[in-house]
Amino acid sequence: MTVHSFTFSDQPLDLEQLRGSVEDRSCGGYVSFEGWVRDHNDGRQVARLEYEAFEALAVKEGQRIIEEAAYRFGVTQARCVHRIGLLELGQVAVWVGVSTPHRGEAFAACRYIIDEVKHRVPIWKKEYYVDGDSGWVNCERCASAALDSDSHAAHGHHHADHSQDPAVSALARHPQGLVAPDYSRQQILAEVGPLGQSRIRGARVLVIGAGGLGVPVLSYLAGAGVGTLGVMDGDSLDASNLHRQTLYAITDVGRPKALLAADRLRALNPEVDVRPYVEHAALANLAGIAAGYDVIVDCTDNFSAHFVINDVAVTLAKPAVLASVYQYEGQVQVIDTHSACLRCLWPEGARDGAVGNCAEAGVLGPVPGVLGSLQALEVLKVILGIDSPARGAVIIVDLRTLECRRIAARRAADCPAHCVPCAPSPEPETIELDLRLPVAGWTVVDVRESAEVAAAPLPGASLHLPLGRLLDDPAQLPEGGRYLCVCARGLRALTAAKALRQNGRVAASLAGGYRLDP
Amino acid sequence: MTSVRIQYYALLREQAGMSRETVQSKSTDAAGLYDELRERHGFTLARSQLRVAIDGEFADWSTALVDGAEVVFIPPVAGG
Repeated sequence: MTVHSFTFSDQPLDLEQLRGSVEDRSCGGYVSFEGWVRDHNDGRQVARLEYEAFEALAVKEGQRIIEEAAYRFGVTQARCVHRIGLLELGQVAVWVGVSTPHRGEAFAACRYIIDEVKHRVPIWKKEYYVDGDSGWVNCERCASAALDSDSHAAHGHHHADHSQDPAVSALARHPQGLVAPDYSRQQILAEVGPLGQSRIRGARVLVIGAGGLGVPVLSYLAGAGVGTLGVMDGDSLDASNLHRQTLYAITDVGRPKALLAADRLRALNPEVDVRPYVEHAALANLAGIAAGYDVIVDCTDNFSAHFVINDVAVTLAKPAVLASVYQYEGQVQVIDTHSACLRCLWPEGARDGAVGNCAEAGVLGPVPGVLGSLQALEVLKVILGIDSPARGAVIIVDLRTLECRRIAARRAADCPAHCVPCAPSPEPETIELDLRLPVAGWTVVDVRESAEVAAAPLPGASLHLPLGRLLDDPAQLPEGGRYLCVCARGLRALTAAKALRQNGRVAASLAGGYRLDP
Repeated sequence: MTSVRIQYYALLREQAGMSRETVQSKSTDAAGLYDELRERHGFTLARSQLRVAIDGEFADWSTALVDGAEVVFIPPVAGG
């Protein structure tokens, strides 16, 4: 039997019995957490505690957290019991138990449940101090505060500190239907109106990167009522993100940004179907995910992701809104089936490390804020059918001088992404391998000159075809093969692999080339 | 000599120590102009890592320089 439950108990917890309730023969791992009553808080000696909960709401929210954990981590058994009533020092205030097939998910799910319960479930704590004083403190995330002030007052106590808690307003959830989202301010615009609003509601937008650019994009699109919002980000929140990623709180550090963003966005607008993907964008996963969306927004911070997203958007013929920032500057580009794409401008690609990202080059928080806001605006223009000068151009914004420049970009006739017979293959362009070991799945093509090959032959089986001869007719290599081009430094091999791909072959080049290193 | 107005962005602006300048160039095309400026300012980026735009439009490096042209060198930008 599967147990997924969140309950309250006014009696001391029987830990052995609880452990038994999540035992499961199909599971290889069990993780539990006990939260204890400790003898001090904020420098004061604590004698005992009293917990009080707004049970109707709290159980519902707690149950939702358990179900989320079960869904996200593939949990078999999950249970959380929180105490209410008077507790003595050392007693267990909250218990979480999780059983899963493998241990990794059990740790992650247990952590997720306790963190979310502390954040989201409306539970109040009254501390009784050794000096005889007492007070309701640390009302963790008084979710009912967001409902209305009356129900709050009905609890008969004050929560001095939660008004200063930066997470309260973001995390407190409006139960669905209590307050309906109101889009009137945008619907007044002639370009929106009821028809435009229904377009926005029907739109499915995938935002890749939930960082400095992604946060304003996601916030504005959720606020606008975009029907389906995908959030793709494989990173966890770092404290150094917070100066520019204002959707998050410092207490969130270490948790996956896609999940954090999803929680905040659902709280912002429960009408939006928010779908988190805790993964980095790669050709292998992105095409499948992006197929279910109408517009793709590139908010990533590295070139390889930019090009993957560009290629997938072009291949799937989906409009995409790209942006990136460097210190005080940013670039925005809207691509659709008629306009220049990233590879039209940078056919050779661009290498990470050459020009710096936010971590290396530094950035002031509002810079991605402005560029991300521009992206959100461009997405809404795409959805509403409003024309934009960002199509067929790169808009360069210099926020030091507040100058904005439009550089018209024509679609390149020989663009490797747009050229249909040579649509990007779902293979890496360069790969790193040790050629002294057997190379599985590739036909190695040695594109060096004969003298070089004689001086330093490759260790394994290979086809010898010098670059010049290969370029004479790349189609001489049969279709259906997978060709790994190799030269001494990697540059000729890169050219060879590119030519092969343009002729519809699956090809990559060996990064760095082949050298006779010991 | 051709007189052109140059605008720098990102890493180029940093390395040039300025956003814009007007130069008298001996070069006949955009490629020569960049090589000249690269030598003067010590730019680390190779021409193949950049795009050039002339008078508001992306252009080929072989585009001839004309008096009074506005030339923008654009490095790719990745941050987010």
